[in-house]
Amino acid sequence: MNTPLRLIGLTTIAAILAACGGAAAPAPTAAPAASTEKQPAQPAAASGACTISFGAAVSFTGSTAAEGKYTKDGYDIAKDKINEKGGIKVGDKMCKLDIKYYDDASSPDQTAQLVEKLITEDKVNFILGPYGSSSSDTAAAIVEKYKIPMIEANGAAESIFARGFKFTFAVLSPAGNYLRGILDLVKVKDPSAKKVAVVAETDKFALEVAAGAAKYAKEQGFEVVYNDKYPAKATDISSNLTVIKGLNPDVILGAGHIQDAILTIKQGKELGVNAKAWGFSVGPTAPEFRKSLGKDADYVLGAAQWTEELKLKGDANDPFSTPQDFAKAVRAKFPQGGYETTIPYQVAESAAAVFAFQRAIEKAGSLDAQKVRDAIAALDFDSFYGKVKFDERGINTFKPMAVQQNATDGGNYTVGPAESASKPFEYPAPAWGSRK
Amino acid sequence: MNSIQFAQTLVNGIILGGVLSLVALGFSIVWGIMHVVNLAHGAFIVLGSYITYTLYTSLGIDPFLGLPLTMITLFVVGYATERWIIHWVIRAPLMAKFFITFGIGMLLENLILQVWKADVRSVTTPYSGASLAIGGVNIPLVKLAALALSILMVIVFHLFLTRTRQGNAIRSTGMDLDAARLTGVKVAPIYALTFGLSTMLAGAAGSLVSMTTSFTPDAGARYTVYAFLVSVLGGLGNVPAVLAGGMIIALIQVFVGFYAPALKDAVSFVLLVVLLLLRPQGLFGKPFTSGKAE
Repeated sequence: MNTPLRLIGLTTIAAILAACGGAAAPAPTAAPAASTEKQPAQPAAASGACTISFGAAVSFTGSTAAEGKYTKDGYDIAKDKINEKGGIKVGDKMCKLDIKYYDDASSPDQTAQLVEKLITEDKVNFILGPYGSSSSDTAAAIVEKYKIPMIEANGAAESIFARGFKFTFAVLSPAGNYLRGILDLVKVKDPSAKKVAVVAETDKFALEVAAGAAKYAKEQGFEVVYNDKYPAKATDISSNLTVIKGLNPDVILGAGHIQDAILTIKQGKELGVNAKAWGFSVGPTAPEFRKSLGKDADYVLGAAQWTEELKLKGDANDPFSTPQDFAKAVRAKFPQGGYETTIPYQVAESAAAVFAFQRAIEKAGSLDAQKVRDAIAALDFDSFYGKVKFDERGINTFKPMAVQQNATDGGNYTVGPAESASKPFEYPAPAWGSRK
Repeated sequence: MNSIQFAQTLVNGIILGGVLSLVALGFSIVWGIMHVVNLAHGAFIVLGSYITYTLYTSLGIDPFLGLPLTMITLFVVGYATERWIIHWVIRAPLMAKFFITFGIGMLLENLILQVWKADVRSVTTPYSGASLAIGGVNIPLVKLAALALSILMVIVFHLFLTRTRQGNAIRSTGMDLDAARLTGVKVAPIYALTFGLSTMLAGAAGSLVSMTTSFTPDAGARYTVYAFLVSVLGGLGNVPAVLAGGMIIALIQVFVGFYAPALKDAVSFVLLVVLLLLRPQGLFGKPFTSGKAE
């Protein structure tokens, strides 16, 4: 064909592809919000007083898209609850909340860029954290540079807090504590179970979980027979599993993302690797785990920052009071959200981050970044999510981890800590060949 | 490593090789014959996975029984993609083809995201994790099926390309486009057919990996990389070479993985670079000639 025609054709295709590529990147912003400034924008806001704008770069696409959705839902339900009650009290004004979202596509570099954009271009007051430790890590550096407080709810790696940053806080329990609950349960149920295999994804968060688990296991008298890793986003871990199989562990603990947990179970079954207890840091508590594995998900334990069955009670100022109330509200607000059987803890902890900001802002009586930051550091309250209090690094070491199990009846129950268990812990997991 | 572990690792490698070969087959054919490096190949594989998933969860069609359906759907998609998109740049330099297939990959990935959303999915049938246990060594059956399918496809394609008229026509376009035209080969439908066959194979690969791993809309990139690795290692323009390439990469991965699992990807790529320095055409590929290499 002749050159001008080809040129037109190519340009058209390029334009279409660019449009589609561009359309994929920015996430849907919070529904009523179009404004990127602090002034009131929508006529719908009856108060007409002020708007506190939060910015959040969350993964709506990419490898952690599922968890990113839970994070956003958590932020949104808290925002709506606060706005329902009139907003946040800043001095003598009631200010509504607004959250501006961007999709960081599960890329920590993008997170940093987008957080910078939120601060410098969109001029948000505060930052709500992204999903994941790697992204929280890059975001922490940015908020420190601009001295804008960030409370994140989904980055548990302690390395984020090892740099002396003052403007980042995490409401969730640190990575090293994740798998403790599982080991505690096994130790009580079966003192003869001694051998533990730990396998981790090469990822900042997963490696910390594994290190914390191995250390705790040794402290509790277990023998750590295997402690190794596989490349990030691996699609085949048969090598690791082949080695593990030869060591006959009683407990297999995995640290990684939900894809890794699913892969470990699938390949574990294929290769005939058996253990009395399988536990993962991330994955088994999410609905897709069961949906992806069916009956193969039975017996698998998951570390949970929070579950809806915990016997917790928030203080008088807590908007939801108990985990059960929160769960009911989530189901009512997101009927198609896949929350019928389980509420992933990312939803709860993300909501908790927003409420923590509320308390800090109200205590500070202003939107001044430094004042709010100091107020956050001094927080200490009980909520539907558990105790929220930050250690000198900024991480919430005061809240214990819960354990959930995918039960043989298809449900997902809280089996630990023992005093909050709603169902007994099913143990041991039978060998693959003898299950039905 | 004791003897059982050695045997198991060997099995793991051969089985993985079967999967990797199936993943790479379509990619290699399109590159060798059409000189198009299809960066969207992984996205087509993932599309195959999603179609299999939908057939299974919504219509209850078993993935193996639904395989022909998935393959035909992907064939149609690939044929249309080549005929109406890629064909515009088929005579352009390699870079243009890179860009367009990259764009198609992104487009496809985002379309998948729109339709199926971002949740992690996997196809788990009652027999998904089944394996044959022989003396302490487990042979996963679904992956064994992938290996069998891979070998079957290699044989079928090799015969098709060398013994049939259409196949010869396809190969001739890869050898010398103008000479092919002179002998009456209609290039446009041939190219569309070739690409369609390639995506059909991608669909088959997607179908099988949907059962052995989990997937998300963006899972394609890794498969494209592996397809690239296997094709380059095995050598282009040679269908059985894909099997060899797949096996070798897989065996390296599992044996290195046994001792230093975090390094297996690194070692595979380093070895690839070394091989290319010593033998640029891959193990079994035709040596580059000065005339038509792009």
